[in-house]
Amino acid sequence: MNLSELIHEFILALIEPGILVGSIGTVSFINIANSTFSLGLVFTCISLLYFALNADFIAAAQLLVYVGAINVLIVFAVMITDQSVSSDSEKRGIGYFTALGACSILFLTIVCIFHKINDFYSSSIHQSEYLKLNLFEKNDVQNIGYQLLNKFLVPFELASLLLLVALVGAINPARDEDEGKDIAENKKKSFVSSTSPRDKSSFF
Amino acid sequence: MNDINSFLSRLNSTINFSTILPEIILIVGLITIVITDLVNKGKNAIFLYKIFLVSTLVSMGILFYQLISVIAFEDLYTNNIFNNLFRFFILICSFISVLLSVDYVLCSKISLAEFPLFKISAGLGGMILSCATDLITIYVSLEFLALSSCFLSGYTKRDIRSNEASMKFLLMSGASSSSLLYGFSLLYGFSDGQVQLDNIIDKILFSQYLPTICISAAFILAGTAFKLSLFPFHQWTPDVYEGSPTPVVAFFSVTSKVAALSLFTRLFRLIFPYLSNEWHIVVELLAISSMILGNLIAVTQRSFKRMLAYSSISQIGYVMIGILAADLENGYASMLTYTFIYIFMNLGTFARITLFSLRTGTDNIRDYAGLYMKDPVLTFSLVLCLLSLGGIPPLSGFFGKLYLFWHGWKAGLYISVTVALVTSVISIYYYLKIIKLMLTKTTNPVDTLKTYEKQKSLVSSVISTKLKSSVEMAMILCALASTLSGLFMDPIIKITRNTFF
Repeated sequence: MNLSELIHEFILALIEPGILVGSIGTVSFINIANSTFSLGLVFTCISLLYFALNADFIAAAQLLVYVGAINVLIVFAVMITDQSVSSDSEKRGIGYFTALGACSILFLTIVCIFHKINDFYSSSIHQSEYLKLNLFEKNDVQNIGYQLLNKFLVPFELASLLLLVALVGAINPARDEDEGKDIAENKKKSFVSSTSPRDKSSFF
Repeated sequence: MNDINSFLSRLNSTINFSTILPEIILIVGLITIVITDLVNKGKNAIFLYKIFLVSTLVSMGILFYQLISVIAFEDLYTNNIFNNLFRFFILICSFISVLLSVDYVLCSKISLAEFPLFKISAGLGGMILSCATDLITIYVSLEFLALSSCFLSGYTKRDIRSNEASMKFLLMSGASSSSLLYGFSLLYGFSDGQVQLDNIIDKILFSQYLPTICISAAFILAGTAFKLSLFPFHQWTPDVYEGSPTPVVAFFSVTSKVAALSLFTRLFRLIFPYLSNEWHIVVELLAISSMILGNLIAVTQRSFKRMLAYSSISQIGYVMIGILAADLENGYASMLTYTFIYIFMNLGTFARITLFSLRTGTDNIRDYAGLYMKDPVLTFSLVLCLLSLGGIPPLSGFFGKLYLFWHGWKAGLYISVTVALVTSVISIYYYLKIIKLMLTKTTNPVDTLKTYEKQKSLVSSVISTKLKSSVEMAMILCALASTLSGLFMDPIIKITRNTFF
């Protein structure tokens, strides 16, 4: 192995234990706040993995979306709930063993599939086709930006409108209605008290 | 400067802006509403509704002009008659449903400004859904429509039934759109990364991947059948319709169904032509069960809105026959005409229910007893709309159903048409039950209508100024359209004929 591959392996060897430790911590911490922070560690290490695998846009998206939005949301939800500290983890019923069995079968399936794909792609017949796909473009983000404004312009703009409507709609049930009530009271009073506009429709 | 010029010229060559001009006008209307409300600080909210109506009318005018001079255009939008007709339908739905919702929102003392915002955004989502031809635009516009509808249904936030309705709608629409997305992802994968519907058909090797295409079709069917509320994906419909405020239910029951119909037809027509035997059988089964279930359960309902929810489930069952019966010479004419008539019948019925619930505050069918004595205009217009829904000649519902069933019989769907005829008779029973209740004098000791006059004096000072204007206008429009479209059936059919693609 030359130097760059050695460095690559070294970085991967640093990141992967981080993911493992973080995920074990997420499920086994008693204090829920600790487990949400270790979930943040898992997401950050996954995004570092994407950087190491030369997928810069996905790494940035992972940091922004998973760490910056989803994890923050989970921390927020955990912080405002009332937490009872008791966790009855000593009883291991039938559910525990069923979940253990299902997860291990799933894990073994994924490992087998990855091995098969690895064998498939490392055979020399497909090596040349693989290189032809030209996966190592350096201007990933530029390409995505170009496509967003050319081919996918309509869904892009529509998604920005969707964000606007989602913001308004999220605040609408949550806000205080006192000012709205006062304004409605004033309007009703002005309708009832004035007699002459009553004959004219105020809609037109 | 050079970059901006070249960018604009390239943009203009990829998207011809005149084709999406109606949607752009709606977007301009949306932004105007937001800014006007901000500037006015909550006063003069009727002005916002006027902005909404003006922008919808202008948009309709431009769309009408485009309908007459069809511009053929590729890429994201294909402007064939099918798509344009659906955009027109959705604009009509938005227009009439806002007309009948102004008074309700005023009287319920909730803030007025966000209501036209959500209605415009739902109409916009529906319009873009009607002419989207690639998977991403379809998904984004579907989510736009669903999210705005969800906010609309939870609008009266102090009413606990409205909260329940919007929670149910949000959760179930999220589950169904995730199933739709899974179906799309299978199509995207097997067509070597193509997103446009036409390119997907070109690249997919149907013979090689048939089981996976079937799985994808099943998931897409589950996702779209939710919005259409076909059996067994109809469970959300009665609860959401009963809980949401009545003008919002009127809007739902036409707009999201019309948009989902266009999506359903386009997806299944374009992507799965080789599977047409399989999905025909499945859709026929779903249609038959929706018709039977909708009509039978509607007989037992005590709440008017819930009954209309079940009846709309059965109406969609009838329209499914129209989709299955599409052939080369007639296109989707039967489905389009029946959808057009259905919009007016449904909106007319909801207009009268809104008026009635504004005056008496109740939704029970029993409280409609003896309405003929108190308010003959309301009674007769409700009678017209209900008879049109049932399919009695000479109203337009009869002609729509006749055309639909005739096409279905010609296409060989004998079982479906027989079941549809039988369940139509059952539906006439429960519509006539309501009409009989309204027209006869009541002997019920607990008479809700005794408070009819008293309440009228309390709220009529607010309502009666607008009564001559918006709700009654909507009522009259729908009554006229449901009766007279039967006479103008031929030109309508001629327009909707050339829609096979």
